[in-house]
Amino acid sequence: MREWTDGSTAIVRGALHAGCTFFAGYPITPASPILMSMLAELPKTGGVAIQAEDEIAAIGMCIGAAMSGARAMTATSGPGISLYSENLGLAIMGEVPLVVVDVQRLGPATGGATTVGQGDLQFVRWGTSGGFPVIVLAPSTAAEGYGVTRRAFDLAERFRTPVFVLTDKELSLTTTTVDPRAYESVPVGARVQHAVGQPFTPYHYEPAAAVPPIAHVGDPTLVRFTGSTHDERAFLTKDPATVGKLNAHLCAKIDAHAAELEWAHSDLQPGAETLLVAFGVTSGALRQAVKNLRANGRKVSSLVPISVWPVPERALAAALQGVRRVVVAELNPGLFAREVRLVAPNVEVVSVTRMDGELVSPTQIEEACR
Amino acid sequence: MNEPALQGIAHSCLDRKDPLLRPGNTNCGGCGMSIALNMLSRGIGDRRVQLSIPACCGIVTAGPFPCSAYGAPVVAATFASAAAFATGMARAARMNGEPTRVICFAGDGGTYDIGMATLSAAAERNEDLLYVCYDNEIYGNTGGQRSSATPLGARTSTTPHGKEQPKKDIVAIMAAHGIPYAASISLAHPEDAYTKFKEAVGLPGFRFIHVLAPCPTGWKSEPAAGIDLIRLAVRSGLFPVRTVRDGHFATIDVEPDFDQDALADYFARQRRFRKEDVDLPRILEAIRQNWERLRRLSAGGVRA
Repeated sequence: MREWTDGSTAIVRGALHAGCTFFAGYPITPASPILMSMLAELPKTGGVAIQAEDEIAAIGMCIGAAMSGARAMTATSGPGISLYSENLGLAIMGEVPLVVVDVQRLGPATGGATTVGQGDLQFVRWGTSGGFPVIVLAPSTAAEGYGVTRRAFDLAERFRTPVFVLTDKELSLTTTTVDPRAYESVPVGARVQHAVGQPFTPYHYEPAAAVPPIAHVGDPTLVRFTGSTHDERAFLTKDPATVGKLNAHLCAKIDAHAAELEWAHSDLQPGAETLLVAFGVTSGALRQAVKNLRANGRKVSSLVPISVWPVPERALAAALQGVRRVVVAELNPGLFAREVRLVAPNVEVVSVTRMDGELVSPTQIEEACR
Repeated sequence: MNEPALQGIAHSCLDRKDPLLRPGNTNCGGCGMSIALNMLSRGIGDRRVQLSIPACCGIVTAGPFPCSAYGAPVVAATFASAAAFATGMARAARMNGEPTRVICFAGDGGTYDIGMATLSAAAERNEDLLYVCYDNEIYGNTGGQRSSATPLGARTSTTPHGKEQPKKDIVAIMAAHGIPYAASISLAHPEDAYTKFKEAVGLPGFRFIHVLAPCPTGWKSEPAAGIDLIRLAVRSGLFPVRTVRDGHFATIDVEPDFDQDALADYFARQRRFRKEDVDLPRILEAIRQNWERLRRLSAGGVRA
């Protein structure tokens, strides 16, 4: 039985099945349906959903709940991520498990509130001070939002870090028929908890890439939680060796696990000299373009990154074998094409972009392959 | 009950040549914000004004080029910072020696919720600006979610079973800043609205005006019934029409008759209120307590 649904519903369902117990959000088009669904659905499972008074409060509530043991999620769009920025930095520094859904619209500022865009790709990656890594997953279909959200909770919990689900207005709000078998039952892990009764150091990690076990606010153990540079006891410090070790840890925690975090759908054709790349909603046009080109006898490979951060460099490198030209299609000034150029400096990278509120068409991609 | 003698306002030579809200705009039929803008326009008269409007219904009103719906320059502000934008505009105007009056025009979401910090700070600094809050008790621009101005029992897209909390008393909050002028106005009493807008535009320092603005789309009411609804809200005591000067000189400007039928009628004529969600005894008690407090504050001062 196929069902008639949209990406927002898939994300909400994914969150509920991943054990989400706390949601806070603030109305913003096109992310509001997630807020409305969570307010309706989460209380039924014993969870808490709150409409906050603004975005700063929404993500603040989530951080407070997450540090008190909840599995927390929030959802917004580009202008909301702007207001999340400071708290995102705090969540990175404090090592808070948190899922942030960004339903992209055409920016900057109010931009096109009801118009599709993919311009937040670099913004979510670099959206707070310091330049530290975050994980960003972009579902390529409405149904994939389900599995991607589960995976986002899995990674947020296991790596104690904010994980973004990067979707867009079209994937989120366009109602479509979905085969429920497309809902991928991605396993969801749990944060490593401090064993009660044992001595507790809030930020003890060894080696640098390890994730410190968590004790929750409200546990019998006294918990310290900080956004300042700190030692492993969470005491504020400016000691260069300690601060350097901490910041190296925040990088290594993600970077050293890149192989595990990278995720992409590759459709490779032997002998292909052209590789097509697109993420999110634009991958729909990519799939059609691949079909059309192959029907006309062209040999083309395609790659759809799901983990846009980290960039799936291994899958890209494999797909680049024998390729002379990469066509990257996206709804922004060419933000993912920049990343592809870094991975493939000796290959021609053609950037197909659209920023007028319309989707990239298969024809546009095919023309770039001529 | 002092029913207004004047049931409408005739166009006069004192009105603006270019109205603040131009004809042909795309606002919903029966929009209370539009009525407030027309009243404000008359209050402004021929003074030069600039508007700061956050990302709310009021900024969508501005419309696409070349059809600006506003007969005054408008700066679009981010949702959280209309009062900050207006502060910058007012300070710059003074620096340049311009006689322009700066008016902030924001909805209840941008006033009660996300914009509260910048609003409170601008009031505390006693910036020379008029802040008008058109309160339609809902996030009208994003699909009708609750705000902290949504009244007890009202259904919105995020309070599907009726809101559980009463709304904030925004006039009390703003008056507590000790600003020169904080008032609520009734759109059903045009002379009240006109007089207050006119005075508030001219006063120096921070002025705050709260307008209960019917929203047929969000209130699920007849577009033509907006003014009637406001009259019922005022008569029943649900919406006090009052002024507080310098934080403590309070007056009640329209005396309600506390008609319980008017209150019941107010709820019955809006489909956002379901019978099962509206706790009438609780609301009546809240109105009684609120008026006890208001009478103490105003020491019986009633303007006819």
